Amino acid sequence: MADTNTVVGQSILIKGNLEGDEDLTVQGRIEGAIHLSKTLIIEQSGVVKADVSVANAVISGIMVGNLTATDSVEIAETGRMVGDIQAPRVIITEGAAFKGRVDMGDLALPRQAAADRPKPAYKPAPLARPAAAPARPAPLPVRPAPARPAPAPARPAPAPAKPAPKAAEAPLAEALAGASKKKVVIKKKR
Amino acid sequence: MANVIGRSIVIDGEITGDEDLVIQGTVKGKIALKEGLFVENSGVVEADIETQNVVISGAVTGNIRASERVEIKADGRMVGDIKSPRILIADGAVFKGNVDMDR
Repeated sequence: MADTNTVVGQSILIKGNLEGDEDLTVQGRIEGAIHLSKTLIIEQSGVVKADVSVANAVISGIMVGNLTATDSVEIAETGRMVGDIQAPRVIITEGAAFKGRVDMGDLALPRQAAADRPKPAYKPAPLARPAAAPARPAPLPVRPAPARPAPAPARPAPAPAKPAPKAAEAPLAEALAGASKKKVVIKKKR
Repeated sequence: MANVIGRSIVIDGEITGDEDLVIQGTVKGKIALKEGLFVENSGVVEADIETQNVVISGAVTGNIRASERVEIKADGRMVGDIKSPRILIADGAVFKGNVDMDR
């Protein structure tokens, strides 16, 4: 009977730990920590200052803190977030404000899916327009050289078995991080 | 209903607000509201409560100070002290604690 949907109303302030197995909609304020096995929805009036781990998060309000999602994070047009995001899928909508780091992880599975898609999209000038951020995979063919030692330290040597995909991921991850940073900068200028 | 703390939700901490709150899940800590608190059948509250009205159909452990009314329904269970000008305890309710109706 988990069909109830928890709503924290506009005037409500919760300080402390919140855990649960259902969707949570925040119109008010939560400070502390949130652990959900489902979706956290921060509405426009909602403010969350917490370390959050959820399956999905949709941010239309204000989120301050680190956010870990097992599935996806979406910062909607009205959303503002400061903190680090760790999630396999991160969506930052135009108009959203975000400051922090994005870590999409190893991305073994989504990576393949993404690799299938972009092939027709190879264009020589992806850097010319940073606004077209979703053009993630584009940098990949530009420098396929595995001559990049940098990315390794994050993961203490679990699998030297497949260096090829790792090397391929590295520039991508960097490109992604770069893309999100660029985005932030752009928003700030506005 | 604006504010519902659903069944699977566990909150450990403090809740404050100016509107009604319905608790179907678990809250530990402290609750301070300007309106009504409704602890439903599945609700478990281990907290000190300060509100205007409280209606208990679930389980409450802690002290309650209500500016208007406290009602423990037939399926309500409450352990703790109650201070409120009006207190209703229905037939079938379980209650252990002090009652203070001083105004």
